[in-house]
Amino acid sequence: MTSYVEGYPVKALIIEDSAIETMVLSAMLRKFHCEISTAKNGKEAVQMFLEGKKFDIIFCDKDMPIMSGPEAIEKIRALGEIHVKIVGVSVGDNAQEAFMRVGVDEFVPKPMKLDVVGAIIQEVIKKKKNNETV
Amino acid sequence: MAATMKLGTLGHAASMLSTGLLDEQFQKLLLLQDGSDPNFVAETITLFCEDGERTIGELTKQLDKRCVNFDEVAAFVHKLEGGSATVGAQRVKNTCIQFLEFCKEKSRDGCLKTLDTLRVVFYDVSGKFKAMLQLEQQQAEATK
Repeated sequence: MTSYVEGYPVKALIIEDSAIETMVLSAMLRKFHCEISTAKNGKEAVQMFLEGKKFDIIFCDKDMPIMSGPEAIEKIRALGEIHVKIVGVSVGDNAQEAFMRVGVDEFVPKPMKLDVVGAIIQEVIKKKKNNETV
Repeated sequence: MAATMKLGTLGHAASMLSTGLLDEQFQKLLLLQDGSDPNFVAETITLFCEDGERTIGELTKQLDKRCVNFDEVAAFVHKLEGGSATVGAQRVKNTCIQFLEFCKEKSRDGCLKTLDTLRVVFYDVSGKFKAMLQLEQQQAEATK
């Protein structure tokens, strides 16, 4: 399955403090040929946006040191990044509510499944294609 | 199952699945391995074993303190819960869930008892993972 749109790969940012979970999600995203960037906590992620980096999709964990996922998402959206698709991911209860409150587009419980990741990437590609033709 | 894993290792994994040590998430992990990423499973489970050992060490230290910070304890357990869920280490994950309940209750005794259980289930699965990787390596050497 390709995630190329007119030669451009889907740019994905993983915000996750667990190296194992980053490794596994990265392996899934590589199946869809995504260009992958990672941040170990919310603060690193916000810094990337302050440096002008752009992404098509963010997968964001909830509980991280220094800055949590919901806090980072609030700041990222406040920077004007309203079009980037943000997926909140967590293994705990109550995470969905915390994410939806700050404006994520979707919540997916951990562990993430390949077909779920694939469906999300396909949505992003479709949106990119629609934006290209406008 | 991943074509790049040897039959012996797959048999090892199958026995861990049938005893409930692992769940179907581990099978999904195997499917992520392919020719372009032939060491993916080995690297992931090695990292799980190393991280898990570090976390258990930290939990022991935290619960040894006179004044236990249960939020900090919960943060470590939560991380191990996530990692174990990701690799399919079902018993470790379930023990972490129980552990988090005792953290919520701020029960030092409950946490200490569950840490003992966590040690047993973690070292059981990590020992079997290491044996599986050793077998995989031996089989790879034998086919060279």
